[in-house]
Amino acid sequence: MMNIRQALKLFLQACCARRVPDSGACPAGGESGHTYACTKGDGAEMAVDPQQAAVQHSMERIVWQYPPEQRYILAIMQDLQKEFNYLPREALSLTADHVQVPLGKVYSMATFYKAFSLTPRGRINFKACDGTACHIKGSLVIIDELHKCLGIKPGETTADGEFSLETVNCLGACAIAPVLVANHKVHAKVTATAVREIIKTYGGRVDEPVAN
Amino acid sequence: MKIIIDGIETTASPGETLLDVARGLGIRIPTLCYHEAFGGKGVCRLCMVEVIAGGSARLVASCTYPVTGEIEVRTTTPEIEQIRRNIIMLLHRRAPGSEFIQDLYREYGCPGSVPAADPDERCIMCRLCTNACETLGACAITAVSRGTDKRIDTPYGEASPDCIGCCACAEICPTKAIDVVRTADHYAIWNKEFDMERCAGCGRPFISRPYQAHISELVGQELSGEQLCPVCRKKQAGGVIADVHRNRS
Amino acid sequence: MSQLPTENNMNSRMILVCCGTGCQASGSLDVLASLRSLLASDTGTAVQASTKSTGCNGLCEKGPLVKILPDDITYCQVTVEDVPDIVKSLQDGTLVQRLLYRDPVTKQHYRSHHETGFYKKQHKLALRNIGEIDPADIRDYLDRRGYQALRKALAMSPAQVIDEVLASGLRGRGGGGFPTGRKWKSCAVVDHAPRYVICNGDEGDPGAFMDRSIMEGDPHTVLEGMIICAHAIGASAGFIYVRDEYDLAVVNLNQAIRDARAAGYLGNHIQGSGLDFDIEVVRGGGAFVCGEETALIASIEGNPGEPRDKYVFPTAKGLWGQPTVINNVETWANVPVIIDRGAAEFAAIGTAGSKGTKVFSLVGKVVNTGLVEVPMGTTLREIIFDIGGGIPKGRRFKAVQTGGPSGGCIPANLLDLAVDFDSLTAAGSMMGSGGLIVMDDRTCMVEVARYYVNFLAGESCGKCTPCREGISLMLEILTRITEGHGTIADLDLLENLSATVQAASLCALGRTAPNPVLSTLKYFRDEYLAHIIDHRCPAGVCKELTEFYIDADLCTGCGLCRKKCPADAVTGEKKQPHVIDAAKCIKCGECINNCRFQAVKIR
Repeated sequence: MMNIRQALKLFLQACCARRVPDSGACPAGGESGHTYACTKGDGAEMAVDPQQAAVQHSMERIVWQYPPEQRYILAIMQDLQKEFNYLPREALSLTADHVQVPLGKVYSMATFYKAFSLTPRGRINFKACDGTACHIKGSLVIIDELHKCLGIKPGETTADGEFSLETVNCLGACAIAPVLVANHKVHAKVTATAVREIIKTYGGRVDEPVAN
Repeated sequence: MKIIIDGIETTASPGETLLDVARGLGIRIPTLCYHEAFGGKGVCRLCMVEVIAGGSARLVASCTYPVTGEIEVRTTTPEIEQIRRNIIMLLHRRAPGSEFIQDLYREYGCPGSVPAADPDERCIMCRLCTNACETLGACAITAVSRGTDKRIDTPYGEASPDCIGCCACAEICPTKAIDVVRTADHYAIWNKEFDMERCAGCGRPFISRPYQAHISELVGQELSGEQLCPVCRKKQAGGVIADVHRNRS
Repeated sequence: MSQLPTENNMNSRMILVCCGTGCQASGSLDVLASLRSLLASDTGTAVQASTKSTGCNGLCEKGPLVKILPDDITYCQVTVEDVPDIVKSLQDGTLVQRLLYRDPVTKQHYRSHHETGFYKKQHKLALRNIGEIDPADIRDYLDRRGYQALRKALAMSPAQVIDEVLASGLRGRGGGGFPTGRKWKSCAVVDHAPRYVICNGDEGDPGAFMDRSIMEGDPHTVLEGMIICAHAIGASAGFIYVRDEYDLAVVNLNQAIRDARAAGYLGNHIQGSGLDFDIEVVRGGGAFVCGEETALIASIEGNPGEPRDKYVFPTAKGLWGQPTVINNVETWANVPVIIDRGAAEFAAIGTAGSKGTKVFSLVGKVVNTGLVEVPMGTTLREIIFDIGGGIPKGRRFKAVQTGGPSGGCIPANLLDLAVDFDSLTAAGSMMGSGGLIVMDDRTCMVEVARYYVNFLAGESCGKCTPCREGISLMLEILTRITEGHGTIADLDLLENLSATVQAASLCALGRTAPNPVLSTLKYFRDEYLAHIIDHRCPAGVCKELTEFYIDADLCTGCGLCRKKCPADAVTGEKKQPHVIDAAKCIKCGECINNCRFQAVKIR
């Protein structure tokens, strides 16, 4: 019985066999817009359910659109992060195979650059700007309040996968500091009270302050 | 090109690093991240020296600084000594678990410092291990994350399919930070277990299968089964030499 | 509503809606959509007006900004509700008085932004087009002398172009201040092809958004500058490395590249010359260190952004080992101006050592926050008070931070310092990329130092020991001080460590990391001592060392602090002095920030 890695590898090899008989390298078109047609290989027996196959197909489509060169690793990972809200393991292996670079190097890049996460981000991703202008106008108050209400610190996601929090450095909206962004929606001049309202808007539960 | 190091006049080829020139003269500049196999990487900054050129002085890392003109160099000054002391202090704060660093800490007379989180940590992030793994072509271990979170690890901290168990990383590590757990016929490193091939001569286990496969690939010949351990290989070579002498006389 | 003087072409108007990031965040896209739909409707078609979205006008504090041409009217803080009134005013030939810019000091209304204190002292070169053009329309750029400089350059020899840039005295605007002409020249003489041109758009200094505005609002000026350089040094390919967080900049740059190609300004045989050159946008991955040029190069090559020792410059060995010119976005934006108008005109602006203008992001505790472009040599006082309108809420100026995490804080007694590369460096700070963070008496300078060191600790690539470990220890010490556990010995250790980090770090991130610490120690040592010896934070910021109380003599009982308090810590009856319960107080500062009577005090 095969595991997913072996199944995926066979799947890929079967696809490759149609285009490039000898090497195992997948040619990709990149700028020419040449997308790689995925067809099931012959003789590849595997138990892959339709949803998993769709996810894998999606990963391949993203990775293989770029030329097989190391310099495209960042661009590939950005597209993967956008699509899946994190970098799945299979996708990183696929990337390493495609650009012909050891997995260790790809993993090193995935962990160096903070645009990426190896675990899924929340349904609502809060970005609290901690740029200097926002900082001196009280961004820590926002971050503290989010921690109080949701129990997460920057870099963490709530257990139910609903909310995640990260700090970012300067979104360029310094006139409306302090700024909190929720999934691309920008909230201006945010206070501790406003944080609670914002969380409620996105479906979170917030306890009102209790007398000590 | 004529340069002067610590008052000694010498010549250097263009592009030669100051560290190489100094070593050629027998001048000792301390290093932690340097190895002849990889050249200078500029990581530990212990090798800083003062370069005087065009009337001004600046501090440079001697392991990466190429000689491109006539300069005067001082490999030690009070400022440089203070820098080295601070670097050792910082490394001791990071890796108090290493005896090697503890010795250096005493040798440099470091000022007191606040010990950091992990008393057992031995890694000083000199990157010799990852350089070795990269030179081998495996990159099974790489430097992961950044800043003080930076650490040496395999992808996801799991056994890496690219690791062949050569243990070059463990051997090159100056602080013995990489553990190799050995038993009679297998060993484990970086969470990966390796069975060992037995010597065709004495039957002792001595090399991992993936390592052997790697050598086979490099040499272009299938070697399994006919491998001799280093001891038996020496004996065999000795036997050949003895035969040659016997046949001569 | 006041009457406009009659003009002969009142029939056809252009309404410019600022869609720079700041105004977008305040809702300008909704305003634009509402304007367009109203103008397209029955009531709207009588008014012959078209709309255009532009990049950042700079006066972000007053956004969303809407400008009417050719009347030269500027409306501020426009909401969707204001749109019908604006359209009506165009029909009637009147002004919507309440939307005009109102000077906070003189209380006077101004019809056009050009008349305001914010804009009068500015001199726009790099920002010449932003706010006036639609960045997605190359025709707007062409209408304002776009690509004229390129045509002129292509008719000059490469050496002549380099000489012109040298003569202008242009110095890098990204922070290094290296003479641009010298950089180009040293690359052109390296006999090794291919050569590359790179735009450093990895603007990472928190509080700085100059480059963002240029890339979003006038992408063609960056392209034109790079193409001129390609001709000057003989480059075949260019890269614009854009910070990952700048979505709109990436979109607008890519659009501009497509349009430039279609118009024959990029690609093969540019404008019929022998120059073959094309540009590609590369997105960063969220790493401040990639603003350092060798880290940026490593990133483009497909590696983590770790810098290398720069004893051999990228002009000799850069991207993929080839001779490479890397310049900052604002530097590129100045190049077409220099070639088009001539080096002498550029060099006539500024000081002896710093020619031309500089774009600053004036942010923090200042009335008019936004982007300003002034001639080099303008004083800090003029920028912060004349242009910036001074400190809001009647508070006191304390310091201005220049140069971001690599720079330093400049105190009140140095406000008459002329802004130029050398004088800022002499004062213990640096020009940096242009962030000017204004701080008032409610900013704790120790906390500011801790903030910057914390930022750098998170952004350090981790390769070299002094930066990785040194900054971490400095952060530990500063955190201890802000929490009330600092000792006098800590200050000595900070200074000792700073010297090592400055001297031994591999790259400029590490080497300049101690600057905020050293400059605050130099000018605000008393604040450090207050934290360590008195266990108090004079600015009322460090929570463990702060206690707010209300001065009963000054309190009028207006109840504003009680309403603003998120922790229900303020009690009091109307018109009676209020009281803060220290046990409940979370030290957020809402009370002291809002009190109009200076009744909330710090113990």
